[in-house]
Amino acid sequence: MGEAIVITSGKGGVGKTTTTANLGTALALQGKKVCLIDTDIGLRNLDVVLGLENRIIYDLVDVIEGRCKVHQALVKDKRFDDKLYLLPAAQTTDKNAINPEQMKELITELKRDYDYVVIDCPAGIEQGYKNAVAGADRAIVVTTPEISAVRDADRIIGLLEQEDIAPPKLIINRIRQHLMKSGDALDVNEITTHLSIDLLGIIMDDESVITSSNKGEPVVMDPTNRAAIGYRNIARRILGESVPLMSMDQERKGVFSKLISIFSK
Amino acid sequence: MTKKQLVYIKGTKDGLVLRLDDQCAYAELVEELKRKVSDEAIDGQAEVSLQLGNRFCTEEQIKELIACVDSSPHLRVSRVQSDVISIEESNHRILERQSETFVGIVRSGQVVRAQGDLVVVGDVNPNGKVIAGGNVFVLGRLKGMAHAGANGNKDAVIAASWLEATHLMINESLETMTDELTILSEQPEMECAYLHANGFIAIDRLQELRLLRPQLSTFKGGS
Repeated sequence: MGEAIVITSGKGGVGKTTTTANLGTALALQGKKVCLIDTDIGLRNLDVVLGLENRIIYDLVDVIEGRCKVHQALVKDKRFDDKLYLLPAAQTTDKNAINPEQMKELITELKRDYDYVVIDCPAGIEQGYKNAVAGADRAIVVTTPEISAVRDADRIIGLLEQEDIAPPKLIINRIRQHLMKSGDALDVNEITTHLSIDLLGIIMDDESVITSSNKGEPVVMDPTNRAAIGYRNIARRILGESVPLMSMDQERKGVFSKLISIFSK
Repeated sequence: MTKKQLVYIKGTKDGLVLRLDDQCAYAELVEELKRKVSDEAIDGQAEVSLQLGNRFCTEEQIKELIACVDSSPHLRVSRVQSDVISIEESNHRILERQSETFVGIVRSGQVVRAQGDLVVVGDVNPNGKVIAGGNVFVLGRLKGMAHAGANGNKDAVIAASWLEATHLMINESLETMTDELTILSEQPEMECAYLHANGFIAIDRLQELRLLRPQLSTFKGGS
């Protein structure tokens, strides 16, 4: 029996879909059988980020409404043998096409065959959010070091605490160390004490996240990238390993050592 | 055999006390009272205190009794005393006096309400709201909205380990914490907000609460 994890944030554009794609890929790279579900009906993106857009035949609504079997709608990612699958959202209807009970049923069915079912939640706290959260065993809240994102994360955590799921965990996305160092952006400690939930990991802001998702290849596939390392660490923490938090000092050390090397010449 | 007197009139230095019999029928009592207040040779003006004893009277009945007495040009009811209250009212009073405890974080969009005092063990985050009929005590950071004395209690206070609320409300006065108030309290640690005599909400150190609202403490005397 697998586990269903919902990735949510409240605010839009903080990186839910990117996180879902990368975490799912990282878990698959760790040898787990993973199914990703896009619940953002009407505004689907997860398929594009994974580069599976042109292989979609059936979608979530087709499954729910019984027009096809679940396995017919699942899109297999050929890069990872038999490990990573995607259940895409429908693009032609809206979020009211399905209800939480139906989602619960579907996710229970998927959990039988997969180690992890990762659910990409749409922005907002309406029907789409309720559908996404319905079948989840645990939740991950994504935020960025901006006040607006942290406020919305706080709201969503409040709602999640009323659900019958494990206490949510936090991912702080798009960290720019120079802003955090100078105090112009909220720092990691400030955000975690404010939200007072466990921190699951931090992801550095990196341009390659954008370029790689444009190419349809999750950034996590590049093991040297610092955002990728962040996602890989989170995946290992989900699997129960204890991995220390990534140091934000890398680049600064680089500059510092460069200075030393200049002076030592 | 003389009939039992249903209305006793007693003079005190504060005015007259009308003790009404609590065993007889209500209609009988009203009749007797009417007779008493019109018959007696009462001079001047007198404040009257009505004592109902163990009789339970509804609001309407009390109004009727007061009207009876007030019909005399010499008398005016200053207060009505009764030894009994209904269970409903008693329960309501218990609710208003009791302290309710919320353990956890009041997050954005959440509202926690209490009839009496409210103790929050945890933070109140921005856009979170706590409303109490009595006082609000926050053992944590109050960063959202707090409303104390929502049932009309002007003496209610808001106290927090860390008071940096966005909005404070006591009874019907609202204060937004964007202006001088926040600037004045540079270190918002251990502070309380109360309704100042000038009608505005003031913020002071928690240590001052003892002097500002001595009635808050239920321990009397020194120890």
